[in-house]
Amino acid sequence: MTTKSKTMRVFEGLLESPLNSLVEQASADGRIPIGYSCSFVPEALLMADRLFPVRLRAPGIAGTEIADNYLSNFICSYARSLLEFAMDDRFDLIQGWVFVPSCAHMQRLYDNLEYLKKPAFSHILDVPRKVNEVTTVWLAEELRMLADRLSSHFGVDMSDGSLMKAISEWNSFADVIQSIGDLRKRPDPPITGTEFHALLMTSLASPKDLILPTILDFRTEIEKRDGIKNYRARLLMVGGHLHDPEFIHVIESQGGLVVADRLCTGFIPGLKPIEMSGDPIRTLAEHSFKKTLCPRMMEDFDRRLTTIIETAKEYNVDGVVIEIIKFCDLWGIDSMPLVSALRKEGIPVLKLEREYRMGSEGQLRTRVQAFIESMGK
Amino acid sequence: MTVSAANAKSLFMRLPGQVKGFLRNSLAGYILESKNLKDSLIYAKYWALIWAVILKFVIRLLFKRGPIGIIRVLVGYPWILHLLRVTGLMRRLSRGRSGLYLKSICMTIYTIAFTLAENLEDVFYHPDLLIINEEMVPPDIARAMGLKVWLLEAMGILLPILAAQSDLKYIDEAENAGINPDACSLPKATVGMVLKGHMPKGIAMVSSNMPCDAGMASYSLIHREHGTPIYRLDVPSNFYNERADKLFADDLKGMIAWLEEHTPGRMDWDRLKEICEGRNRMLELELELWDMIRMKPAPLAAEAVFLSHMWHFNLFAGYKLSIKHFESLVAMARKNLTAGIPATKNERYRAVLWNPPFPHFIDIFNKSERAYGVTLINDSMTYHHHAPIDTSTPDTMLRGLANTIMQGPMVRHTRGPAENYLDDIFRMYRQFNLDMVWVANHVGCKSGQAMNGILREKCRGMKIPLLILDYDLLDPRIVSQDGMMNQVEFFMENVMKAQRLDQ
Repeated sequence: MTTKSKTMRVFEGLLESPLNSLVEQASADGRIPIGYSCSFVPEALLMADRLFPVRLRAPGIAGTEIADNYLSNFICSYARSLLEFAMDDRFDLIQGWVFVPSCAHMQRLYDNLEYLKKPAFSHILDVPRKVNEVTTVWLAEELRMLADRLSSHFGVDMSDGSLMKAISEWNSFADVIQSIGDLRKRPDPPITGTEFHALLMTSLASPKDLILPTILDFRTEIEKRDGIKNYRARLLMVGGHLHDPEFIHVIESQGGLVVADRLCTGFIPGLKPIEMSGDPIRTLAEHSFKKTLCPRMMEDFDRRLTTIIETAKEYNVDGVVIEIIKFCDLWGIDSMPLVSALRKEGIPVLKLEREYRMGSEGQLRTRVQAFIESMGK
Repeated sequence: MTVSAANAKSLFMRLPGQVKGFLRNSLAGYILESKNLKDSLIYAKYWALIWAVILKFVIRLLFKRGPIGIIRVLVGYPWILHLLRVTGLMRRLSRGRSGLYLKSICMTIYTIAFTLAENLEDVFYHPDLLIINEEMVPPDIARAMGLKVWLLEAMGILLPILAAQSDLKYIDEAENAGINPDACSLPKATVGMVLKGHMPKGIAMVSSNMPCDAGMASYSLIHREHGTPIYRLDVPSNFYNERADKLFADDLKGMIAWLEEHTPGRMDWDRLKEICEGRNRMLELELELWDMIRMKPAPLAAEAVFLSHMWHFNLFAGYKLSIKHFESLVAMARKNLTAGIPATKNERYRAVLWNPPFPHFIDIFNKSERAYGVTLINDSMTYHHHAPIDTSTPDTMLRGLANTIMQGPMVRHTRGPAENYLDDIFRMYRQFNLDMVWVANHVGCKSGQAMNGILREKCRGMKIPLLILDYDLLDPRIVSQDGMMNQVEFFMENVMKAQRLDQ
């Protein structure tokens, strides 16, 4: 595998805290960080004018004692970790919060945050659970309400022109990430899954314009690299939130090479460009539905399955690793028919249940090792 | 000694205890224990009525399907045998109850048996008209279309009420197939029944995003297993507004069009009007009943109130028998109130139960009533307050039904801001003149679990005694009945400083 590059060390440094130095720099320049926790929130909308989006994370969380007291310890550890960090003022620079009641856990995180530490600006985006013309109109109305509230609260320009500019910037940024992601289709990809995930997470946790130069440097760097040859199996990661690249690193330490990911924080299908014509709000609503493959969408099982199968073929994948945060009912139940459907297609699957923070590395290594061996690799 | 000999000996040794238990739970056992002729006659009447329903069902099945048909039914739906324990349930719930209170509970169980037998006949004799509904989708519209409806989750709830362990093999089946063990046991049991092929498939299915993530997600699997076409209703998260009313009413219209396309059902608006008017009448009667049980001591309580609502409003709203049942409940409550007869002689503590009741330990309130004088006045599943449905036009009916569904118990409490959950508890506390709040803290219900912290602090602030009773909805292996009763005892003795009445 490749040795750690200078740019990679920059990414890793930026991932160490929930609000990194680039967020601090942008805030100091008078820009407004808006925290969000779900992929249904269109990042481009939060890039208008002085706003910039920050994916809410809780890196290095040690324990969730206060959150357990309120949310109980039967709630997903991501939601608990966010509440714990919020109670600990670790998101002090965040000026606005946008939530989606994507699941019971996120809904209750919002409820508890409102009760314990009501933010000056918080908004809940009511995203329907099925996609058709009526629900697209509904979501567009929801996005309009969010834009109006942002505009009146922060005095930012949320006009169509401003949104179009933000969409264009987001598209350019996504295009750069996509170009790097596409390199993973090669038989000998120049980039590991760990590196790519670190890059993705940094881009979600930083103002896009400030992180872009480092990403471009990284692209130049990997273009000169030799491809990675010493791997045993090409893997596709599937699941919800995965923030810590270390999880992928442990998988790759056993000889797997993660070449594609369908994660809430991954790049399939999340980085497809947004249409630049028509009403920008309507376009964002349509894009939100297209770019997210969450089991909360009741009618999307076949689309999720097809996307995974097609991605497996496109990236020449040997096996699929499904990672689920414990207590997530959506992924926990949805993965049951998903696993059997993938196996019917002849795709080997490993289902891993994990906590939000990294732990049980030994167990993880053993299971990945056994999985790769079971594929005869 | 061989294994078979040892088994035979063990069986023989257990026999006297089993016979004793059987006799104690039999009609004769009741009569001997009750020592009250009037109560014995009430009990005997409903015992006979329930067995008449069962016999009628079996005889009809025998005539329509023949002996082979009966065997097929028993093989296809083995859980049906648990339904024979319905008089056992009546026996458990009748302990310590007397007069009209006893009658109201016996009558509730009889009406459940009666309507269930009818519903099973729909399954066996009209498979070409049968659609499968998810538990939170009311059957009203499909019935107005001339279709027969089977609520897929209904047996998951009813079976443990009759026999505590009856869902376990289904829960295990689902977990072995890969469902996450921490999910709610209701979708687990339902998925288990579907995987074992013990549920009817119907010709089409209607599911929804209610009441929780697990229930909703389970339909991806159920749909794939059954292979029948499916329509999914989508209730918005924030629904107390005109926009949401319209969105969901349009969704119901979409469902009607879809059912007309995929089933032989055709919308009969007059029939829907009749059903909605029946539902309105039941609502009116229930509000009258609530007005009376607000009085201290309550003239009726516990299962007469909550089982009646759970069964009749969710499965048979608008049915003649359901309306009649509520009319009888109201009459009984009024009679008791006028005569100054309380449901419970020793009503000392008036309680509300929040979240789903305890199916595998349904008699916990009977025991608590006898032990401490705790009277269950109302519960969150019954507290379905909404405006009556305006039946003047098809549009107003659909709007009304949309509202009824969106504001249904659990649907309302798991959606929108925390106030939807909390305000109802405190409103009920005041409305019913209560002394305590019991939370059925189902381990698989993440939405409820995550509200306990706030609820605890709010109750402390308002000085409302709060019991958060840990349990699993359908699985007594998680918290046993003894473990649940211990929690009640600790709470009553340490927090309420209550004296036992039964010692």
